[in-house]
Amino acid sequence: MTPGDYFLPALPEIILLAGTCAIMIVDLYVKSERRAASFLLAQILLAVCACATLFVQLGTGKGLYIFNGLFVADSMANLLKLTAYLATSVALVYSRQYLLDRGLLRGEFVTLLLFSLLGMMVMMSANSFLSVYLGLELMSLCLYALVALARDSASATEAAMKYFILGALSSGLLLYGMSMIYGATGSLDFREVSLQIKTLLSAGPDAIPMRPFLVFGLVFVVAGVAFKVGAAPFHMWIPDVYQGAPTPVTLIIGAGPKLAAFAMAIRLLVGGLQDLAQDWQQMVAVLALLSMAIGNITAIAQSNLKRMLAYSTIAHMGFMLLGLLSGVIGGNKLNAADAYSAALFYIIVYTLMTLGSFGMLLFLSRAGFDCETLDDMRGLSKRSPWYAFLMMVIMFSLAGLPPTAGFYAKLAVLSAAVSAGQLWLAVAAVVLSLVGAFYYLRIVKLMYFDEPRDSLAGSAAVEGPREMRALLSANALVLLFLGLLPQTLMGWCLDAVQSLRIL
Amino acid sequence: MLLSLSIWIPIATGVLILVAGGTSGGDRSAHLQRSLALGGAIFGFLVTLPLFTGFDLQNPGMQFVQNLPWITRFRINYHLGVDGISVLFVLLNSFITVLVVIAGWSTVENKVAQYYASFLILSGLLNGVFAALDAVLFYVFFESTLIPMFIIIGIWGGPNRVYAAVKFFLYTLFGSLLMLIALLYLFGKSGGSFEILDWHKLPLSLGAQIWLFFGFLFAFAVKVPMWPVHTWLPDAHTEAPTGGSVVLAAILLKLGAYGFVRFSLPILPDASRALAPMMITLSLIAVVYIGLVALVQADMKRLIAYSSISHMGFVTLGFFVFNSYGVEGALVQMISHGFVSAAMFLCVGVMYDRMHTRMISDYGGVVNTMPKFAALMMLFAMANCGLPATSGFVGEFMVLMGAMKANFWLAFFAGTTLVFGAAYTLWMYKRVMFGPVANDHVAALTDLNGKEAVVLFALAAAVLLMGIYPLPFTEVMHGSVAELLRHVAMPKI
Amino acid sequence: MKALYLIVPFAPLVGAIIAGLFGRAVGRAGAHRATILAVLASFVCSVIVFADVLNGNTFNGSLYTWITMGDTRIELGFLVDRLSALMMVVVTFVSLMVHIYTIGYMAEDPGYQRFFAYISLFTFSMLMLVMANNFLQLFFGWEAVGLVSYLLIGFWYTRPSAIYANLKAFLVNRVGDFGFILGIGLVLAYFGSLDYDVVFSQAISFSERTIEIIPNHPWLLLSVVCICLFIGAMGKSAQFPLHVWLPDSMEGPTPISALIHAATMVTAGIFMVARMSPLYELSETARSVVLVTGGITALFMGLVALTQFDIKRVVAYSTLSQLGYMTAALGASAYSAAMFHLMTHAFFKALLFLAAGSVIIALHHEQDMRRMGGLKRYMPITYWTLLIGAIASAGIPPLAGFYSKDAIIDAVHHAEAPGAMFAYLCVLSCVFVTAAYTFRLVFMAFHGEPRFDTGHPPHESPAVVTVPLVLLAIPSVAAGWLVGSVVFGDYFQDSVLEAERDYHGLLAFTLHGLVSLPFWLAVAGTVTAWYLYMKNTGLPKKIAMALGPLYAIVERKYGFDEFYDRVFAKGALLVGRGFWKGGDQTLIDGLIVNGSARVTYWFAGVVRLIQTGLVNTYAFFMLFGILAGVSWMMWHLLGS
Repeated sequence: MTPGDYFLPALPEIILLAGTCAIMIVDLYVKSERRAASFLLAQILLAVCACATLFVQLGTGKGLYIFNGLFVADSMANLLKLTAYLATSVALVYSRQYLLDRGLLRGEFVTLLLFSLLGMMVMMSANSFLSVYLGLELMSLCLYALVALARDSASATEAAMKYFILGALSSGLLLYGMSMIYGATGSLDFREVSLQIKTLLSAGPDAIPMRPFLVFGLVFVVAGVAFKVGAAPFHMWIPDVYQGAPTPVTLIIGAGPKLAAFAMAIRLLVGGLQDLAQDWQQMVAVLALLSMAIGNITAIAQSNLKRMLAYSTIAHMGFMLLGLLSGVIGGNKLNAADAYSAALFYIIVYTLMTLGSFGMLLFLSRAGFDCETLDDMRGLSKRSPWYAFLMMVIMFSLAGLPPTAGFYAKLAVLSAAVSAGQLWLAVAAVVLSLVGAFYYLRIVKLMYFDEPRDSLAGSAAVEGPREMRALLSANALVLLFLGLLPQTLMGWCLDAVQSLRIL
Repeated sequence: MLLSLSIWIPIATGVLILVAGGTSGGDRSAHLQRSLALGGAIFGFLVTLPLFTGFDLQNPGMQFVQNLPWITRFRINYHLGVDGISVLFVLLNSFITVLVVIAGWSTVENKVAQYYASFLILSGLLNGVFAALDAVLFYVFFESTLIPMFIIIGIWGGPNRVYAAVKFFLYTLFGSLLMLIALLYLFGKSGGSFEILDWHKLPLSLGAQIWLFFGFLFAFAVKVPMWPVHTWLPDAHTEAPTGGSVVLAAILLKLGAYGFVRFSLPILPDASRALAPMMITLSLIAVVYIGLVALVQADMKRLIAYSSISHMGFVTLGFFVFNSYGVEGALVQMISHGFVSAAMFLCVGVMYDRMHTRMISDYGGVVNTMPKFAALMMLFAMANCGLPATSGFVGEFMVLMGAMKANFWLAFFAGTTLVFGAAYTLWMYKRVMFGPVANDHVAALTDLNGKEAVVLFALAAAVLLMGIYPLPFTEVMHGSVAELLRHVAMPKI
Repeated sequence: MKALYLIVPFAPLVGAIIAGLFGRAVGRAGAHRATILAVLASFVCSVIVFADVLNGNTFNGSLYTWITMGDTRIELGFLVDRLSALMMVVVTFVSLMVHIYTIGYMAEDPGYQRFFAYISLFTFSMLMLVMANNFLQLFFGWEAVGLVSYLLIGFWYTRPSAIYANLKAFLVNRVGDFGFILGIGLVLAYFGSLDYDVVFSQAISFSERTIEIIPNHPWLLLSVVCICLFIGAMGKSAQFPLHVWLPDSMEGPTPISALIHAATMVTAGIFMVARMSPLYELSETARSVVLVTGGITALFMGLVALTQFDIKRVVAYSTLSQLGYMTAALGASAYSAAMFHLMTHAFFKALLFLAAGSVIIALHHEQDMRRMGGLKRYMPITYWTLLIGAIASAGIPPLAGFYSKDAIIDAVHHAEAPGAMFAYLCVLSCVFVTAAYTFRLVFMAFHGEPRFDTGHPPHESPAVVTVPLVLLAIPSVAAGWLVGSVVFGDYFQDSVLEAERDYHGLLAFTLHGLVSLPFWLAVAGTVTAWYLYMKNTGLPKKIAMALGPLYAIVERKYGFDEFYDRVFAKGALLVGRGFWKGGDQTLIDGLIVNGSARVTYWFAGVVRLIQTGLVNTYAFFMLFGILAGVSWMMWHLLGS
């Protein structure tokens, strides 16, 4: 094949890399406070990447493997990438005013964000332990830096520190697990790995000595994934980081990286270690249950909105894992496509909801005032009915009520779980999501039934940049729209999953 | 197509009102919104009339069917249709909506747009529940109704509204979430179909049926509500604004009962038969226990709320004696209760708007100042204690006959409602209406105004018509009920 | 003819609607004209129908299909035979009288139109009841008359006593209806229809059928049915122990007491049992229950009448006791005798009430006989008519009461059902009591010295009041002479079953009566009354003293009111409050609903503690997770 074909599948990454470097340089010469140029360029860059990805998607059927199988471009990768672009560009729009008000609007923000995006993309397209790890680190490092963006904020720096240490620990664990599996299978390429495992398992008795390496490796890998996803008991960093980081960064951490983490989970567990499904599914089940329980229940006790949403993230990840673990039933993969696509759908919808909820927080914050605690939500419907309505939609979507996207996300995952015979897990899930419904409901209650807090009572309808208001409305309405017509997105998710080689 | 209209016209109107309310403010726009609401409600009611007139009595199956693919990924269809059981509720709902809109005309001052929007959207969703033939579609409508009702109670409700609203929401959500699992299980069992009618034919082991039955039971029992999961209702009713209580009592409670006939009985006949004793016991407890509880209420709305529970006890009783008297009686009782409880709550509303209290003790001798109103409320009170020639009697009578067919003691305990019902209703009436004028507030009362009169007279007409000539109501349902009973009789194991 | 059948019940309904809904428009005069005209029309029609029926043209047809339940069809319709025809005439006649009387009696009342609307509505309901050809319509009328009586007892709704009485009346009646509807339920469940024809024609084939309401206690189906139905009758016809509402019902305006609580409604129970005679004839158990209930009611309510001073209450208790007679007759399967007494009683009791009412208005709503006396001089017409009524009810020939009552006593004497002897003693001794209290009333009110303020003496009531009295007096005298054809003749033919008894013509019957015990008892009673209340007026008090507690018990009506109030009313409230506070609020809400919420909160608090904010804790938990995973896998491996 020609060099053209050879590089083609990686086109978006290449463009992004080049473009980001360009922006970094341009930014040096931008003097304006508003950094209009950088933001504009960034948006354009993202648009171009999107086009490139679409172009790749048209070219790729079942997935193209390049760089000696380090890198794969298949429908799943592309879908996730597109979502990630969306998340990033939305994040840029949402964060701008906030950062500007707090003098945090510096060039690094944009570039770091774009680099982390690059990292995510690499993870999404990774087809080997090596590339996964590369992407992961690239993403994480940028995020650490972003969290610390507010240099002189104690809480931010503390959060960055925690994030960094724990992140390092987790990637250590991950690496350890990878090395063990490498030891057992003698390969880094997932296709190779899964083949090896097949043969090992079929080999019978003489494979026994290898098995411990595999399963231990598995445990560590799962732990690494769980950390990135933020599943209990590897969730501890999430509340602190979410709360400590400046809200725009929280938004960023909440959205894109989750997509990447999901991609990593699929690539590793499904792509590489699917034949160990029996083993890891049980572990994931425990993680899922713990996450849903701890997430939902602890969220109730939170008075800080960001922290509450952090816990709700944990709970949602638990729910997503529910889909992930219902793929393989006693060795047969009939249910796999449904289950994984359900999880994929869930994570995408979740990303949209996160964007919406944190975007709302950014929107309601003003110079010198951070909308962070539940009380800040009081009587919002009196101050600005429209945004109260949007927030309500988002909250009900998070609670998983029809007619919002959140409901179908839950429906898909639950149906996967039920048809995988995980009845009790499903029941536990819904009971816990009832607990969850309570604290989302509390927000609606605060917005609609309570009087505005004295300090805010006077303040007129909240104002914000036009593009932000438009985008925020669109964001929430999309959730409503997906609630009425989820079909298309579900279809994409199914195709995406089916494009995975192993299915 | 008609059904789609009956669903989407109110919803569209609701959205329209929201937009109108969002764009323009002030008094004039409030009037505009009211007119919009009324127009939408009436239009919505008119489109449902052909459902009744054009209904084919000979056909026990689904009519006015509309079936479009919706979410092919899960083979979920936008499948609508009504049979003799559901058609009446679509009509009832659309009818009540009109009355609610009129009733709120001059009493609701704050957030008019949201108020009417909530009610119209709610009304559309409710029609959807009754018309849905696809389980997920049903569930979506079933769940969505929570949101507007939550808002209605929470914003326009009484002092303790927030507690009531949240309680209502979580209570019912809990039930329906378990139902969701049951639905998904059936989805799996039936080889990936959400068609309710397919499920009617689906063979299931008794064990599975029992589990599923409980899955559904939680959802429906909470909505009905059956003892002992009824405690949300008195709070919700008491705190809700008049219109809210009306819709809640007249329609929302019916969702649960409707669920039993649409899901539990035909899909899980063996479990239904096996668990009938339990269901009947709970129903009878509802009738007797709640009847006694109603007796001691000091708050009119709470009292009527409890009487609702006790009346709904008759409904569930009727379903689970498994004979045509019982089931048809239960359905008639549901319709009639729709009229009567709505009327009772409206009556309390009429007084509340003038006195701003629901406490019986604050009233007395109202008849002296509001004779017209007193006369109408007497009619409704009598209907509430099941006096012949009012709709209240028909359902109770049929259910009693059905119960007697099944077993003497069922009829015996159910029959006590003749005494209890009369006791709590008329005792309240006595304390509120009769006697010398109790205080200056009562002395200052003015009799019904035009709108109130219209609403109450409409309901009075309905109550009397149904009491004197119930034939049309039962004729519609014979076919479908016979079909249903056939399903129940057929073992599926 | 069919048109007439329709006019009879519906004309009053129309009248009621005019007077009720358009009362303000048509005005007072309009209201009473409309209603009286309507009732008159209905009366005339009934008379024509009656004549027609005597010519053997009975009718049984349906009006319209009320409902179809499953494959059961229930139709409303009319059954016009000699039984219902008789009732139609009686009801419309008395009602007409009362309508006219009301013009005078209610002249000053603000609720004039409303009142006419009510009594016309009542007439309609009562006619629907008696003309029914099926159980359901019977129940319709049954409840409807109950409703109207509720409205009329509470007609003066500002009087606490009145609104207490009407609630009580309705609830007690509801207790009866409870039994009644169970009976209907049983009929429908076993006979599969509610039409009299169908049911009665099948009755024989069910005569052996038993049901086990209590497992392995087979009871005769028909006994259960009949007793259930009779419970309904006990409510409506105020039979012991459901009699408590009737005396209080005197809170209503007097015309109502005459029309509803003496002449017509309270006799619905009697009518019903007579109508059901084909069923009752098949169940001796039921009949003996009826018989004994009747006996008890007759005697013991009569005794109470002796102790009352409120003129209307005296008459009310006498009504109770007379109803007891009819019931006893039913129990003795002397249905025609019961119906006959029902008729005569309707006339003379209405007469008594209206006369009493006339006294009451003359004395400006004074009802206590201790503040009357010597009224004879002031209001002759009232006096003479009332006297006729008194003689009739005391059962002294040749007035109406004598014949009907004698027939009953005779029948009860010959009855075989268990408890017949007891019943016989009751009704027999009651003759004495009846005469005593009736003439006690006459003497206390009209003879002796005036005990009211003679400053402004009462004067005779206007014509609208006295004319009905006179018109009612006539049948009170003459109605009895029909005894031959009604009781012993074949008047009822097959509309009620009947046991044959010997009868040798009116004269013989009367003469035989003169030498038989009841007559002398009546005379004795009269004399006693004369002695106690004319001659030796101090004695009654002494007797009361002497009897002490016994007298107190009777005067307190055997304490039924107190008992019901304490046990049932208060008890129900107590239990209700218990369920509410204990069950709903404490157990379900407190423990389960809010409890689970509290637990969740508590747990949330606990989990929060783990989130220390210290990196090393976090790291520890991560490693702990790893450790758990590894060890679990290890265990797994070793296991395999």
